[in-house]
Order: sequence, then C-alpha cells, then structure tokens
Amino acid sequence: MSEIFSLEELTSNNIVIVKKIVAGYKAHRFLADLGIHEGERIRIVKNDVGPVIVEVKGTRVAIGRGLASKIDVIVKE
Amino acid sequence: MPRKYRFRNFRRKVFHKKVFPRWVFHKKEFRRKVFQRRDFHMKEFRRKEKYWKYRIKHGKFRSHKSHSNIGIRQRMHPIRLEHTIEHKVAFLGNPNVGKSSLFNILTHSHQHIGNWPGKTVERKEGHFILSDEYFAIVDLPGTYSLAARSEEEVITRKYILDEEPDLVCVIVDAMRLERTLYLAAQAMELTEKVAIIVNMMDLAEKEGLKIDASKLEEKLGVPVLLVSALEDYSILRIKKFLYDSLHTEKYVFNPAQIVYSPKIEHMIQDISNQIESRGVCSEYPTRWLACRVLENEQSVVEQLELEFDLSDVFRKMENMVEKEKFDPAIEISRIKFLAIHKIVASAVSGIKDFKETLSDKIDKVAIHKIWGYPILFIIFAAFFLLTFYASTPIINGMNWLFEKFSSWLLNSLVSINSPPFLTSLIVDGIVAGIAAVLLFIPIIIIFYGLLAIMEDSGYLARTAYLMDRVMGKFGLQGSAFMSIIMGFGCNVAGILAARTIKNEKDKLAMILTNSFIPCAARIGVIAFLTGIFFQPWLAALIMFSLTGLSLILVLISSMLFGLFYKKEQAYPLILELPDYKHPRVRNVFYLTRQRTGIFIKKAGTFIFIASIFIWFISNIPFGVPPEQTIVGYLGRGLSYITEPLFGFSWKMVVPLIFGIAAKETIISALGILYSNGGGLIEILRTSWTIPQTISFLVFQLSHVPCFATLATIRKETRSWKLTALGFFYPIILTSIITIVIFHTFVAII
Repeated sequence: MSEIFSLEELTSNNIVIVKKIVAGYKAHRFLADLGIHEGERIRIVKNDVGPVIVEVKGTRVAIGRGLASKIDVIVKE
Repeated sequence: MPRKYRFRNFRRKVFHKKVFPRWVFHKKEFRRKVFQRRDFHMKEFRRKEKYWKYRIKHGKFRSHKSHSNIGIRQRMHPIRLEHTIEHKVAFLGNPNVGKSSLFNILTHSHQHIGNWPGKTVERKEGHFILSDEYFAIVDLPGTYSLAARSEEEVITRKYILDEEPDLVCVIVDAMRLERTLYLAAQAMELTEKVAIIVNMMDLAEKEGLKIDASKLEEKLGVPVLLVSALEDYSILRIKKFLYDSLHTEKYVFNPAQIVYSPKIEHMIQDISNQIESRGVCSEYPTRWLACRVLENEQSVVEQLELEFDLSDVFRKMENMVEKEKFDPAIEISRIKFLAIHKIVASAVSGIKDFKETLSDKIDKVAIHKIWGYPILFIIFAAFFLLTFYASTPIINGMNWLFEKFSSWLLNSLVSINSPPFLTSLIVDGIVAGIAAVLLFIPIIIIFYGLLAIMEDSGYLARTAYLMDRVMGKFGLQGSAFMSIIMGFGCNVAGILAARTIKNEKDKLAMILTNSFIPCAARIGVIAFLTGIFFQPWLAALIMFSLTGLSLILVLISSMLFGLFYKKEQAYPLILELPDYKHPRVRNVFYLTRQRTGIFIKKAGTFIFIASIFIWFISNIPFGVPPEQTIVGYLGRGLSYITEPLFGFSWKMVVPLIFGIAAKETIISALGILYSNGGGLIEILRTSWTIPQTISFLVFQLSHVPCFATLATIRKETRSWKLTALGFFYPIILTSIITIVIFHTFVAII
C-alpha cells in the first residue's frame, strides 16, 4: 500500500491514481464530469505555483489549489 | 402549408449553388466521391443533376432578378413545393470541440444569434437546405454534462426533452474521445435520435490515432461520422450524414444502454417501477428519471415529489452514502466513463497514454511561474499597441473622407437653400453622429480580431490560468480575466463575456465593475488629450497609469462586492486548458464578427440616437451661442459644483454629460464647444491647465457606465437595484478619486 498524498503535494510528471475526493457537491460532480473520479489514472502536468494542471483522458485541466488539496492520490510506479 | 416555408423554398436555388456549384457536376472527382458511394441516394442526385443541367442549358439559372423567377419555379414544380420538410437538428458538445465552427461552416450566414427566452445564455440558430429539405440547426451551449447544475445545462436538457429535435447531433473530439463521448452517452439516455460527429480527425491522424467508425457505430448503436472541420469536403459529408440519419434505413438508432453495478441497477429498477405504476412524467424516459433521482437532481426530484413520496428512496441513499461511502451519483458517472473507456479501447488503436505533447512543451515557457508573466505582459502590450497603431491610419483616412463628405453636403445643402436649422441637423447632427460611430468600427474589429486569434490559438485560457494567482489576491478567479480584457474593446462585450464565469460572485462583480475598464472610446479620449498636452513619453506613461488605475478600481471594487455578497458555497477553479493550435481564419472571422456585431448593434441604436439627442440639446434654442442652449444652462449650473471640486469649467462638464449617453461623443462634443473659429488643439492647449486636464482624464475614465452598458447590466442581472448600484457607485467613487487627484496636482504645480 503506497502512501497517500494530496494532489497538491506532488510534483510534475507524476502519474497518480485518485483515491478519494472530499469536495463540495458541485465541485465533486464537476470533477466527475471531467473524468476525474476515484480509481482514475491522471498525470500531474504542472504543479509549482497557482492552480495544479493535471492531464486526464487526454485533456489538461487546471484545478484550483484549494480543491487540489482535497483530492487524495497514490503514486503509481 | 405555412407561408414562411414557402418563402424559404423560393430561395432554394441559392443553397443549391452553395451545396453543389454547377461545375461540380462535371467533375470526375465529385462523381467518384459522391455518386459512386454504395449507399448513396443515386436517384435523388441524378434527378438533381438533370434538373440543373436543364436549367443551365436554358439559361434559367441566371434569372435571379427579384421575384420574377418565383413564378417560373411555381410553374415548373408546383407539387414539390408542397413537400418541403423541416428537420430540427440540435448540435451538442463539450466546449472546445469545434462545435461552433462546424455550425458556422454548415449554416454560413444563415444564422441568428439571440438569447434563450428569459435566460442570459446565447442561442444560436441557423439552417441549410439539402434536397428541398430544410434543416434548422440549433447550436446548444457547450457543456460538460447534462446534469442540471448550470444554466447552460438546464437549457440544453430542456431543449432535448421538451422541443424534441429530430436529431441530436453530438460533436466529439477525436483527440479526447473518451471525455467528449461522455456527453454523448448522457444524450443517448435522453433520446434515441442521437448521431455522433467525430471532429478533428486531421489532428488525430497526425498523432497516429486510428478510429474505426463502424466499430464505434456498432458498440454505441448510433450513427457515427468522422470528419475534420478544416476540409472543405467535409461540409458536404456532414450534410449528407445528417440527411441520411434522418431518412434512410442505413442507420439504426438503438443507443447502447449502460448497465450499472447491481446495487444501482436494483435501485433504478425500484424507482422505475414506482414511476411506471403511477404513470407520472411519462413524457420522459423512465430509466433516465430514475438515474436522475439517484443523482439527487433537484429539478427532477421536485417534479416527481409532486406526485409521490420519495423519502424512502432518499433514506436508502443516505444510508449508503454514510455507511458504505458510496455516492450513487458519482458511481453512475464513473461507470459511464468505464463503459465508454471499453468502447473506445475496442474501436480506437494507437492511443498514447500521458504523452508529452507540443502544447506541454510550449506551456513549460508560456505559463512558467516566472517567465509566464513577462510573456503575458509583452503579448498584451503588443496586442494593445498593434490595435491602436494599426487602426490609426484607417481612422484618419475615414475621418478625412467624412470631412470631405460633410463639407460637400453642407455646400450642396446651402446651394439648394435649405433652412439653416435643417442643414445643421443633417450635417452636425446626423452625419456627425454616423461618423462618430463608424470611426470606432475599425478599432473594434482589429481589437476583437486579434483577441479572437489569441482565443483560437488557445492562449487566452492560459492567461486565465496565469492571472488566477494575481486575481486570487482580490478574491476573484482567473476566469474573470477574460471579461476584463473584452471590456477594453467595449464594456457591453465585456459584460457579456462574464456569462462564462462559473462563480456567481465573480460574475456579478465583473458585471458591475466592467464599466471601470476604459473601452476603446475612452482610450481614444485619453490618447487624444494626452497627445495634445504632454510629451509622447509622458503621454504613454499617463495612459499606462490610467489603465492601471482602472484595473485597480476593478479589483478593489470586486473585493468590496465580495464582502457584501452572501456567502455561498464557492465554486472552485476548474478550467480546461485546450491544446495550442493554429488559429483558423474561419473561426477568427466568426468570433470577430460576433463580438463586433455587439458593438455595431449598440452603436447603431444607442450612439446614433444619443448623438442626435445631443445635437438637439446643444442647439436649442437655435442660433444662440453655446452657453445659452439647454446644455449650456445645464453645464453652467453644474459648474458651480464642479469648478471648486474637480476644476471643471462648464465647457468641460458638457462633454462629460454627453459621456453618460455614449463615450464616443466626448471628443466630438469638445470639438463643438471649443472649436469656434480655430483649431481645437490650440484652443484646448491654451484654455486647460495641467491639473484640469488630468482631473478630466481621471473623471471621464470611470464616471458612469454609458447607456448601452447600463442596459446590459440590467439585462444580465435582471435587477434594477443592481443596475442603480452599477450607476451610482462609479460616480461616487470617481468623484472622490478625482477630487483627491485634482487637489494634489494643484498643490504640486
């Protein structure tokens, strides 16, 4: 069992699997519509300052840092 | 048969010219591609060909003159006129899949842009005609899903359910097939009549993706067409595809049903049984209703609760959410995505997972945490400079033409002895009013043209991303930046751009504060006055600091609005960054036309009427010097207040009063008031002091929104209170700032 991070803590170019999303109803549903749900593999494209950019299903999505901190992921080797 | 359809039918020849230009029929290529396709309607097109050959041969093709050939048509084909069929086709798709550009190339100029009734969402309609049949197309707003959470989604869903289009055409992106097919899967639950157009095939082929259309068709159970909107030939293919989907037995409409996990299926069954046994909401698909209940969607739940009690269902759901950490809503969406993933995996080969694309490489520099900002600054500086420098020669040329025209008009009016009152009304009122409007059009076209290039290339979404950090400090999200930038062209367009902002608070703040942003007209005033009074470098500096001031006002005011806005669950920033691509001339053209259209509409109504009104109040009673006219009295009255506070003499107050109606009239008002017998520039230079000029510049920058902007605020907020706030807040704030600045400068100089 690998360690659980929040999306915000990981650096660029990590491929991660979403474990848990603890967000508000609206935000959670919006993420689901974009294809970000539990068990989904995503790639962190950019994460230094400002919103985190992740790649999911071939699209790049910028997620505000507040929301990114509520998305728990594990790193996939 | 209704009269309007008859009329449309008469214009048919024009479309045929577009769909099949006559030379096309002689081309081998055309025959190969179109006629020899196995399943093509050979007969229909042969008939058409014969018909056109006949017309061309007998010269009837050219008889376009007015209504003369309506008679001919009626005599030639009296029966066929009765068979005009109208199809309703709805275009559905995610944002950035090229939906609008497909819509544009299909309908050309036959489109109508308006609002959905009672909503502030744009409604685009158009049509094309193929084989005597009228295809009305509605471009539904771009959405990510059909859940009723935002206004766009509500409209989209309502349209599909209530207006029952003959075909819902879902546009998906070949590069992001899984994500975009999700919407198609949702549409397939709602209605059977779904057709899928896979767009951007050219890019996909370049990337090495191979999509098997027949496999997709088989798995999804609906017709699928692969196109690339860039190829000219694809217009014809899409039209034929739509035609075939509506007519032939070639396609079967048997949308794939997504089977959820047993737990959810059980619950769906449970709710469906209840709904069916009571026979409520029978106009909607039962399974779909049950899924929406599970997703706890308010609009559906409310409607069903009128009929029966749903509390036991919700109790069960709450139990699940609490005990098993299992939210049916999320689960439904997850399984839908999984199902699509399987379908896509079987039909598409060559998918490269998580590959670093060219866009990523560009982004490494373009949105770098340090370099991103200088690049943003340079791009926007270049953008503004280019707009104003490129438009200056055109404006000067037009100005010269107008001067020539008005002096010619004046001379000819005088020579035919027209009364001086009428002469003045025509020359100084109407012609000058039209000129004031037309002179701004080049600048607006160039501004929105360049902006459209940035938007189509994908950079504008990045600016929103970059600005999120800056705007975040003021409680705004990056997506509000677009509205600010658009406001530099015309505030009305800026306010309309605020529609795309998801956060209610940000949207309201942007609508109310957009009038602080100097629009093209006010930048024109600043450029004109600073050019008269200051050295070029100082003029540029003042221009820059005034723009900075307005941006600060926007941000600070938004922050203030945020304090008073009732706390609601804020919508966190979720922003899709489209890939960079070549801006396409067609897309840029349509985007520019749409936004320039907003300005021209405003100009044609508000500014034109305002300038005639201004002529009246500044010329009545007729023939007296300016200070004894209506506006002269008004200005002189007000100058008792403004003189000590802002240093405005009455001649400076009058243009600002006119500015309330339309900012475009400020310069022309200065011209009328100051240029009696001499150049305006010299007179202004001698009669205004530096503190007065600066105070005038600051005041005109943000004193009140113009009428068109106010009307837009009212339309978008649907509240008179907020409109009043949007009017009085700038006046009060600007007055305070101007007083401070004026007295500081008086003290310094």
